[in-house]
Amino acid sequence: MLRLDGLSCGYGAFRAVHELSFEVPEGSVFALVGANGAGKSSTIMAVAGHVAVQGGAVLLDGQDITNLPPTKRVGAGIALAPEGRRLFTDLSVERNLVVGGYHLPAERTAENKARVLELFPRLGERIDQPAGALSGGEQQMLAIGRALMAEPRLLMIDEVSLGLMPKAVDLCYAAIDRLRDRGITILLVEQNTTRALEAADRVCVLESGRAVWQGDAAEARRDPALVEAYLGLSEGKQETTP
Amino acid sequence: MLYVELFLQGLIQGSIYALVAVGLTLVYGLLRILHIAHAGLFTLGGYIGVLVTDATGSLALALLVAAVTVGLLGMALYRVCYEPILNKPPFVALIASIGLFIAMEEIYRIVFGPYGLSYQAPPLQDSVVLWGMHLTQAELAVMGGGVVVIAVLALLAEKTRAGTAWKATVTDPQMAQSFGIDTVRVRYLNFFIGSALAACAGVMVALMNNLVEPTMGSVPSYKALAIIVLGGLGDVRGTLIAALALGVIEAFGTIYLGDLMDRDAIAFAFLIVVLMIRPQGLLGRKA
Repeated sequence: MLRLDGLSCGYGAFRAVHELSFEVPEGSVFALVGANGAGKSSTIMAVAGHVAVQGGAVLLDGQDITNLPPTKRVGAGIALAPEGRRLFTDLSVERNLVVGGYHLPAERTAENKARVLELFPRLGERIDQPAGALSGGEQQMLAIGRALMAEPRLLMIDEVSLGLMPKAVDLCYAAIDRLRDRGITILLVEQNTTRALEAADRVCVLESGRAVWQGDAAEARRDPALVEAYLGLSEGKQETTP
Repeated sequence: MLYVELFLQGLIQGSIYALVAVGLTLVYGLLRILHIAHAGLFTLGGYIGVLVTDATGSLALALLVAAVTVGLLGMALYRVCYEPILNKPPFVALIASIGLFIAMEEIYRIVFGPYGLSYQAPPLQDSVVLWGMHLTQAELAVMGGGVVVIAVLALLAEKTRAGTAWKATVTDPQMAQSFGIDTVRVRYLNFFIGSALAACAGVMVALMNNLVEPTMGSVPSYKALAIIVLGGLGDVRGTLIAALALGVIEAFGTIYLGDLMDRDAIAFAFLIVVLMIRPQGLLGRKA
């Protein structure tokens, strides 16, 4: 569904990602993992149109969208829950959701809102509060909910679990499972490798802007040596004593 | 009785300040530019008001022509002067804006003459009695009209999709784009509305003073800067309240402190005192 073809991108003269290629199959969950600064967020932001592409191409359903302006990408079916959530903090939860569905006719708002609130009932309890007053977990739910308001076929979530309480992380991943069941393709960035491997169908490991391994998440889950070689000791696992 | 009269006079002056300052705070909220030349558009509104009223006899038509013409000019100023320097440091736009303001004053001097223009037959001069006070219809229209227009604007920003899109663009333009909001169109709309309101204020000030002159915008320009700081930069509701408060403080101040300070000094003393107590502005939350 989404394909990167030797994508290089970065900021000014700086190149954050080097000739990255991968394909996200329709209806799957694809995880980009790697250390801080490996180029995961830059990749996602390039797909969203916010980071300059320096080479290669981004294809959605075979269509080249490399030069599509960011405002048009939501219409092509891409929605983003970015790093740091970047909610409209002065606006209420409800108004944030309205912005999420801005590119659709106003009639679609009520139905989509009901669906988001069904997925995240917590947001319903806080619907009139400013987004800035929410807890970290609630903010992440709102960031995902806001993206869902756009009726995306490809949902990109950057740093799903960063800075969240374990319970909130569980809620977000439960939602990701349900969204996959609805047929939404999901591209996520995650520093917590254990979580990413559990949730994803396929995984791509980035290191210094290059893909060092990609394959089935199931394979990585079965083969601890692989995880150790490419991902280091992932968080949440006990250290093995020799 | 004196109190009521001073209070009303303060509200009238405050409404004028509000109409001018709202445009300034809208531009600051969106682009982080201190749009000094905004006061030049206010003056132009005054000139158009006098010319159209004298030519047609209709103040309503004059307000409409001034709002539309100056609104479009505001959009053009953004396109020609500000857009090319948006990614430069903020002081570049500030300098450009000050230069633009001076140029506008001089253009008005050349085109309309240095002595100013007056209405041949100023409309809305009949007296209205309100709580025992004699006000002109023009003063009443300014007070009521200014507050209503800005309150409606704040409500639209709160309740409509377009208003929400505008607020979202102010908070995070890149994210707003990601959800399909055309942020360039938001900027144009922003300049149109702000400039049109300033033009209406210009028409009404020209009517109350029955004079419009090239430098009419000087005092409102720096007064409006004080107001948008007080109101919390970029905040429409805060600007309205700060403008009305400043109008009233000035009205009382000129009576009780007039021997010590003049009107403008009182305004800035008020600004300093408020900022010492509340650096984030009257309504602003702590950053």
